[in-house]
Amino acid sequence: MGYVDEGFSIYDLQLWAEGLGVSLWIFVVSTLIGLLLGGMIGLVRYYRVPVFAQLLMVISEFLKNSPVLVQLFLVYFGVPALLAVDMSPAQAAIITLSGNTAAFIAVIVISSIEAIDKRQLEAARSFAFSEAQIMRRIIFPQSLSLAMPMLVSLAINQLQVTSLISVIGVVDLTRVGDIINQRTFEPFIVWPVIGLTYFILAKIVAMVGTRLERKFSAYRTVNQL
Amino acid sequence: MLDLSAMAEYLPAFVEGFVITAQVSIISIIGSFFIGLMVALARVSANKALNAVSLIYVDLFRNIPFIVLIFFGYFGLPEIGVYIDAFWTGCLVLSIAVGAYAGETIRAGILSVDKGVIEAARSFGFSKLKIYQKVILPIALTTSVRPLGSVFINLILTTSILSAITLNELTGASKIIASTTFRPFEVYVFLVLFYGALTFAISGLISLWHNRLNRYLGEGA
Repeated sequence: MGYVDEGFSIYDLQLWAEGLGVSLWIFVVSTLIGLLLGGMIGLVRYYRVPVFAQLLMVISEFLKNSPVLVQLFLVYFGVPALLAVDMSPAQAAIITLSGNTAAFIAVIVISSIEAIDKRQLEAARSFAFSEAQIMRRIIFPQSLSLAMPMLVSLAINQLQVTSLISVIGVVDLTRVGDIINQRTFEPFIVWPVIGLTYFILAKIVAMVGTRLERKFSAYRTVNQL
Repeated sequence: MLDLSAMAEYLPAFVEGFVITAQVSIISIIGSFFIGLMVALARVSANKALNAVSLIYVDLFRNIPFIVLIFFGYFGLPEIGVYIDAFWTGCLVLSIAVGAYAGETIRAGILSVDKGVIEAARSFGFSKLKIYQKVILPIALTTSVRPLGSVFINLILTTSILSAITLNELTGASKIIASTTFRPFEVYVFLVLFYGALTFAISGLISLWHNRLNRYLGEGA
């Protein structure tokens, strides 16, 4: 009755491209917001800002230690019910993924700042560098190079996490797979194609990441000469 | 506002969900551990074919989202004549997917075993099998308790995705409670806290166990 057009059509390719676009867009936006937020949380905790540091630590611990799917449900179903606001699936997706990414990035930020030799900071202070100068000239360039490998593997992980937004109705790559699968009943074609798309995306992210890693640690090879 | 009392009468449904989560987790932890062990051995073996196959396995399953794998399993398995329910599909796919992560962790443990110890065993005339059985694996597994623990904690959190294939484990059960009580905020806040407390407790226990097993290895182990 309902199944007039079984089998694939050229429009499925268009649907796939649209899903790919949505997945990538949500990934990029939430990664950028996550970097910004995570950097700020990391700094608040590194400089031990009272109350905020502890509060942010507790929140980020729970963000890291509970399923992203439940966090999505909390933001998409829970927050609108509590505050009586409207929230689109895409908004809920970006809010949740940004917050979740930020919690992981904060940890990377702190650990890569703390990995820097404290004597360098003391030396800089004895040369009368201001705290802001120390952060910008000494801590930031070195921690960025230390953090890059961790940031890249986090990005690859978060790329996969974006697939969960399909559950709250964002028409991303996974949701497109679900739609086409429900219509064509060809799981052995649909899911390998979707899986391979994610696989290739992950490889591209890894490639870009390796480039950035090399770029940000270029100063170290100079030292070795 | 936040009112957890509205949820009290739904506690049995919640507990039922928790039992399913626990069952799936335990079965999949065992499954993924053994798959991981085989993958790790294949990765370090001298056999080129085993090497290549295990590398592809690990690379593939670590770079494809779990939800894609579970949909493939849930819709694909009946097509090839395997009729198992959501529970066992979940256990199977979780074991296979997490097996890739467990494999890499165990492999790291194997590679960190001191070469001198292996040479000592060889000079005592131990066979290759015996060296693995009595020397390499016991050391590799004791030093990987903590990293394996975080892989398995991740597995427990991943079981929530099984709610997408109609399994009413913790997350699926809570979703039903949220829609019948019209209190999604309270239900999901409670659920986040519950998963959080569960993982804290488990990772604390794993840390204790790790320290106890590795107490003779000294600093840096």
